[in-house]
Amino acid sequence: MGKTGIEVEGTVVECCPNATFRVELTNGHRVLAHISGKIRRNYIKIMLLDRVLVEVSPYDLDRGRILFRYRA
Amino acid sequence: MYTSRKVTALDSLCVTRVSQSCWHALDDDRVIGRGEVSPRPDGRSFLSIDVWRADAFDRLAEAMLSVLPRPLYTVVDEEDADLTSQWCAVGFSVRRREWECLIPTGPAKPSDVPVISPEEEPLSELDRVIREEVEASVGWQEMPAELLGPGVVDPSRYAVATKSGRYVGLVRVTQVQRLPRIGLIAVRADERRRGVARALLGHALGSLYERGIETASAELNESNTAALALFDGFGARRVGSNLELVMR
Repeated sequence: MGKTGIEVEGTVVECCPNATFRVELTNGHRVLAHISGKIRRNYIKIMLLDRVLVEVSPYDLDRGRILFRYRA
Repeated sequence: MYTSRKVTALDSLCVTRVSQSCWHALDDDRVIGRGEVSPRPDGRSFLSIDVWRADAFDRLAEAMLSVLPRPLYTVVDEEDADLTSQWCAVGFSVRRREWECLIPTGPAKPSDVPVISPEEEPLSELDRVIREEVEASVGWQEMPAELLGPGVVDPSRYAVATKSGRYVGLVRVTQVQRLPRIGLIAVRADERRRGVARALLGHALGSLYERGIETASAELNESNTAALALFDGFGARRVGSNLELVMR
């Protein structure tokens, strides 16, 4: 099993074009995140102010992927 | 310089199946992509691939498609043109489009069709009858994914339309975080085109309005013209769309 990316909690602060979301992480850093295939497969909607779990890209710390949406 | 780096990256990338349903793309022992396959309640297999590097998508797709039986499906946000083109490049094509709509709530209008809170047993019977009718006609594969789950699990989410004491149609509203979803409106085949669905949707939107909720959401199959006309009549606004892709 290989090393996986860093997972950080955050809050969706902006819905952006091309099915992306601006997420403010708990450390204050903001990343532009796509949603994961698993979320898409399950038709889970991501909305402004949702609390989410983000995996940060190992190649670009300003990019991420939303892995999970927490219940309000 | 660029070519050299690209060749090195491709050479070091390997794909491994880590479980029956999951593949990893690895580069220098780092997971740079994941592919998954999962079954739907209707028996179809849906794929997803998430990568941090475009070349990993093709490698994962190649590994998965070489062993998984057809047909295979996936879902993409139509706005995500890059992902859509990646799937199409490996052989998938568009099967259907599902609109995401926002519907304004408002006071319920008077209707000739009474809409009430249901009792569990006749509600389950109505749900069963309607599901059999759908299965015998267009089939559940043409219905939004929201509807693929089990039958009635929480009667409090439903309202039913009645005629002479008989349940003839149902609406299910799911509270999804801050935005309620009209998950299902269904009417018995022999009671369609008589304003039952309109009464049910009006009732659902009226109930939400009374609770101070201004907007509800729904997903509508592009080919379901009756549903589109019904929701358009209540001022539904299309705010996005999902594409279901298939590889046969």
